[in-house]
Amino acid sequence: MSNFPSTAPSSLRQAASARVIARLQNELRDLWKPSEDSTAPPPTRVCTMNIEVVAPTTELLERYAPVIDEVTASIPARAILASIDPNTITDNEITGTTTAVCSSVESGTKMCSERITLACRGDAAARAASAIEAFLVPEIPTALVWLGRVHVDDPIFEDLATDANRIILDSEYTSIASVIQVAAWARQQHNAPDIADLAWTRIAAWQEMLARFFDDAETLPLASKITRIVMKQACEPGARIGPETALMLGWIGTRLGWKTSRLAGALRFKRPDGANVTVELSSVSRPKGVAPQALAALAIEAGDNPRKPVLRGSIERELASGLADLTGTTVDADVMVWKCAKTGGAEIEQRIRLGANKAAKWLERTLHRPPRDIAFAESVAFAEHIVEDGLTAT
Amino acid sequence: MTTILKQNPLRRGLIEDRTGDACALVIFGASGDLTRRKLMPAIYNLGLSRSLPSGFAVVGVARKERTNEQFRAGMKESVAQFSRRKPIDPALWTDFERGLSYVSGSFDDPSTYQHLKTQLEDVDKERGTRKNRLFYLAVPPSEFATIVGNLKDAGLVADAAAERSGGPWTRIIIEKPFGHDLQSSRDLNECIASAFAESQVFRIDHYLGKETVQNLLVFRFANSLFEPLWNREHVDHVQITVAEEIGVEGRGKFFEETGVTKDIVENHLMQLLCLTAMEPPISLSADAVRDEKVKVLRSLRRMEPSMVRECVVRGQYGRGFVKGEDVPAYREEPDVASDSTVETYVAMKVHVDNWRWGGVPFYVRAGKRLPRKVTEIAIQFKKVPHNLFAAPDGGISQNVLAVRVQPDEGIALRFTTKEPGNATVLRDVAMDFRYGTAFGSNTPEAYERLLLDAMRGDATLFTRRDEVEEQWAFADPIFDAWREQPVPPPIYPAGTWGPERADDLLSRDGRRWRRP
Repeated sequence: MSNFPSTAPSSLRQAASARVIARLQNELRDLWKPSEDSTAPPPTRVCTMNIEVVAPTTELLERYAPVIDEVTASIPARAILASIDPNTITDNEITGTTTAVCSSVESGTKMCSERITLACRGDAAARAASAIEAFLVPEIPTALVWLGRVHVDDPIFEDLATDANRIILDSEYTSIASVIQVAAWARQQHNAPDIADLAWTRIAAWQEMLARFFDDAETLPLASKITRIVMKQACEPGARIGPETALMLGWIGTRLGWKTSRLAGALRFKRPDGANVTVELSSVSRPKGVAPQALAALAIEAGDNPRKPVLRGSIERELASGLADLTGTTVDADVMVWKCAKTGGAEIEQRIRLGANKAAKWLERTLHRPPRDIAFAESVAFAEHIVEDGLTAT
Repeated sequence: MTTILKQNPLRRGLIEDRTGDACALVIFGASGDLTRRKLMPAIYNLGLSRSLPSGFAVVGVARKERTNEQFRAGMKESVAQFSRRKPIDPALWTDFERGLSYVSGSFDDPSTYQHLKTQLEDVDKERGTRKNRLFYLAVPPSEFATIVGNLKDAGLVADAAAERSGGPWTRIIIEKPFGHDLQSSRDLNECIASAFAESQVFRIDHYLGKETVQNLLVFRFANSLFEPLWNREHVDHVQITVAEEIGVEGRGKFFEETGVTKDIVENHLMQLLCLTAMEPPISLSADAVRDEKVKVLRSLRRMEPSMVRECVVRGQYGRGFVKGEDVPAYREEPDVASDSTVETYVAMKVHVDNWRWGGVPFYVRAGKRLPRKVTEIAIQFKKVPHNLFAAPDGGISQNVLAVRVQPDEGIALRFTTKEPGNATVLRDVAMDFRYGTAFGSNTPEAYERLLLDAMRGDATLFTRRDEVEEQWAFADPIFDAWREQPVPPPIYPAGTWGPERADDLLSRDGRRWRRP
């Protein structure tokens, strides 16, 4: 570790950074030296992508490291975790560590990914991007996971984002506005990285379940005759619409060709045939372990007459219903109950289990999804109107 | 303005895992081993993966008298024992088992089908299965004709034309063997065609549901690196191996009637050969892919009796050791004749007579009681035209691209490199990609993928009628030659890579088998 004081000339500080990087690269090589125990099976090193994780503080990064370790157990990658804190004045250096994160696979061999953890404080923050880039494995995709607030004019963000293939945000922690800004920035780039939002991945099961209402040839025409949507989110009454709910509504609106308009300042949703759609947002209490503003329920009505709908469908998440599996109870691996009733027919009900609502799970699923998702871009733009309007839960 | 929707707008661009169409899955042979070990765990896992449609039900049909409750309890036990994901999720099982029901009756009794019809009508009302039917014949082929005829007579088969116009669909899944020779396969196909259009028939070959087999198409046609080399200009020969370390495992009676050629070569191995040798299809539609596979089968040089003697080697395992354990000879297995001449090993040199592969031999082999379980396709490239390196250890090996289907699914590329040091010493090294390490190992079982495809009407991974008949058309002359000259197959010790003559098959050409 370097001991240069913060007042050292810039060239000396940079030389110190180079030494730190050289040391870490040597450590990475040492991770793969054959074991002195000749009987021990050699670990298998696998790398399918680079994952850069950037956090504003060391504490946040430390909390997120286990998430990345879990992700790299199923998506082998070189993970470069960096905390970047330009406001620290006592320290102007880059420090770091390396480690191999291993998991056992079926045949008993160990499969290992590399994790590099960097801390860039004070003036060194300006060099963070170049330090991170020094560790990228060439010829494989790079995903940038940005944990803090994001500003597209931040040079560190810009440097890293420009070279990344994909930028992953979570609008639950930033905002949809941030996602919109990043998407706009990406459109101006020559080789635009793809943008992903973990909140979008979280609502994927909801989207699929909603689509089921209209798979039947008999109910298909009713997709263009939705009259009412009721959405519930886990929050206090009066809370603003959350990212999941807004993205879901944005997705429905864009898929069905709805337009938004305002009447006396209030947001209105219109179908392509000009008819109004009533959208209601209400709150349900949030059990422990459930993320704030998580989407909790969605109900639709459809038909020619809003007062006599011929199709009623609902999807309800049994919040914190948990799943007792071999490893114990995983809070938040909730059950969803899908119900569909059509006039003159029996009510059909199906229960499905959501995957555990863990950060690692969502990041892993996001990394597995195709990078380019036009529906996402369109839904974000639509959701912007909803968020601007300040739709609140009753 | 009225909007007329032809497709569900909410499905447009949806990335979430696909689900099957609403349907009732009717399993004939619901009390059998296949249902218990494979089908029901696969259906349950589809439910766990959110791949089952909301309108879904399973109706089991078998001779055994049982109540719905007994059937559900039995299936729960099977899922608990054989599911790849354990334990059973009680919250989901309660919902899942409501969709399970049972009809008992003899397959040749028309009243069984009337009961089934009534049951399916109830299921349509209660479970929203929309009159869509997927019949799964998990029964011996001798039952196929009876069941197919009765389904038709009971009015349980919807017109294929009705499906094309948006009406309810009917599909049927049948398990191999699809006949025991060309004539019997034609008879079977005719029998099925008497009730079902070819577009409604799904002939399952579980090998095609394996990830690596599916990846062959991606590997070949989504990478620009390999396809230009995938021809007679660059490929010296191809080896396809389907090796098992197990014996007949209590299936002596079955194996006495089939032998390894009918059990493995005629179907699984031929499919692997087709996927290796086929031309790029014009699209990934079921028929486009299957058209190309049929072209390969038609290009296979038919074997005259003299060619069978020269290019086909049989063997039968004797006593030996597998993984350090004593194992009996084939003739000592239960239900096997003490003078049996059935082959447990076969190796062939096959010629694909077309522009791409002219002169490139495909050596294929399949056997039981070999040293290890392995299925692989190895593309052996030609030697370099001139050896620059006077290497002390024998020079340059040929590059090999090995596609490992099981176990440790993956792809390895062998090439030559220089050992570090002042001397020029050449060594073979391998770049090894393994599915298990790159993507995790909890991949769906082949039956999950295939059942889901059948629910969605995607027949790409199922065998078409002409494929089956072409496979038999290739294999039949081999059986004829064996019948005409009934020489007992040479015995190879269990735990070895087959009879010596199999090695001669390649050594005559200056080649040798890989030791996978």
